[in-house]
Order: sequence, then C-alpha cells, then structure tokens
Amino acid sequence: MAHLAQLGALIDDLVAAVAAIPTSQHERRVACREAVLRSLRSHTFTRTNHFEVEDRLNGLEERFSVVGRDGLAEALRARRDALESCRDQFTPEVLHLLLELADQPAQKSNLND
Amino acid sequence: MPSTERAEKQAAAQQAVDILHEIATILNCHLDRRTLSICISMIENGVSPEALANVIKELRKQGQQAQLESAAAAAAAATRRR
Repeated sequence: MAHLAQLGALIDDLVAAVAAIPTSQHERRVACREAVLRSLRSHTFTRTNHFEVEDRLNGLEERFSVVGRDGLAEALRARRDALESCRDQFTPEVLHLLLELADQPAQKSNLND
Repeated sequence: MPSTERAEKQAAAQQAVDILHEIATILNCHLDRRTLSICISMIENGVSPEALANVIKELRKQGQQAQLESAAAAAAAATRRR
C-alpha cells in the first residue's frame, strides 16, 4: 500500500514535470495520471539486460567517433568511467532508460549544453 | 545508520545523479535534472525503464497538445474581447 502511494506521488511529479499541463486543464491532467498508472501496471517489457546496455553504449561511442564526433565519444567514455565509482544496482536500468530516450545524439547533441 | 555513513551515501547518490544527467545531455534525452531524479526514484520502485520511456514520450505529446489548446483558447478569448 505504501509502495503504491509512493508510486502515485512519483507519477504526479512526473506528469507535472514532463507534460506541464496548465492548471486550467485539470481533467486532462487527471486523465494523464490514470493513463500513466495503467501503462506502468500493464507493461509487458522484459527485464533490462545489463550486457546489452553496455553494448549499446559502446556502440554509441563508436558511432560518435565514426561520424567525427570524437568529443562526444570522449565525453561519454569519461562519464561512464566516472559512474563506475558510484554505480548501484539500478544504474544499468537508468542507463537503459536514457538509451530509450536518446534523440539522435550523433546528429543533435551539443557539448556546450 | 551513523550520520557520517548516511551523508557519504547521499553524496555518492548525488554524484551518480549528476553524472547520469550529463550522460542524458550527451545522449540528447531532453531530461532536466529534476525529471531524471523522479525517473530514478520510479526505477528504484520497480518501474520498467522501457515502460517509463514510453510513458515519458506519451506525456510529452500530451503536454504539447495541452499547450496548443491553451494557446488556442487564449487566442479565442482575445478575439471575443475585441
């Protein structure tokens, strides 16, 4: 029960942070919250494969170098190395999320950001 | 747990979030630090990363639609006032 309440609070925070629905659209916000809850409860995804996450990150580094974005490749390698000293059991899952949300980084990422 | 040990764990967690946020920026994930922290908490609560990614993409669409409707409503109200 406490777990559900905590997850509910996190979903509220997520809806507010990502969708930023105006306060005038209360019904839409409630509908979004319910849709998120349904999606997360009924998902059929398999568990994160930690080796696959590492492979995908290695592949990205290689791709950055191939397209001449050596700075990006080095930045990613440096962050992955730095993460080693403070990673926990959920780090591969979080990296999996980031890989799913990646938006054409080889073309669009800007190191100045 | 002794307070120094707790403080060390908190510092390590903060450092991990900082680094993960930098990786998110390198991958162009369009995630701010606050949203990333919420996502990490959700994953720690057993949420699937893939399901969460799909939810975030859908919420972004809903947010864009809500902003458009809000702007259209404001424009309509301004027209009526004239």
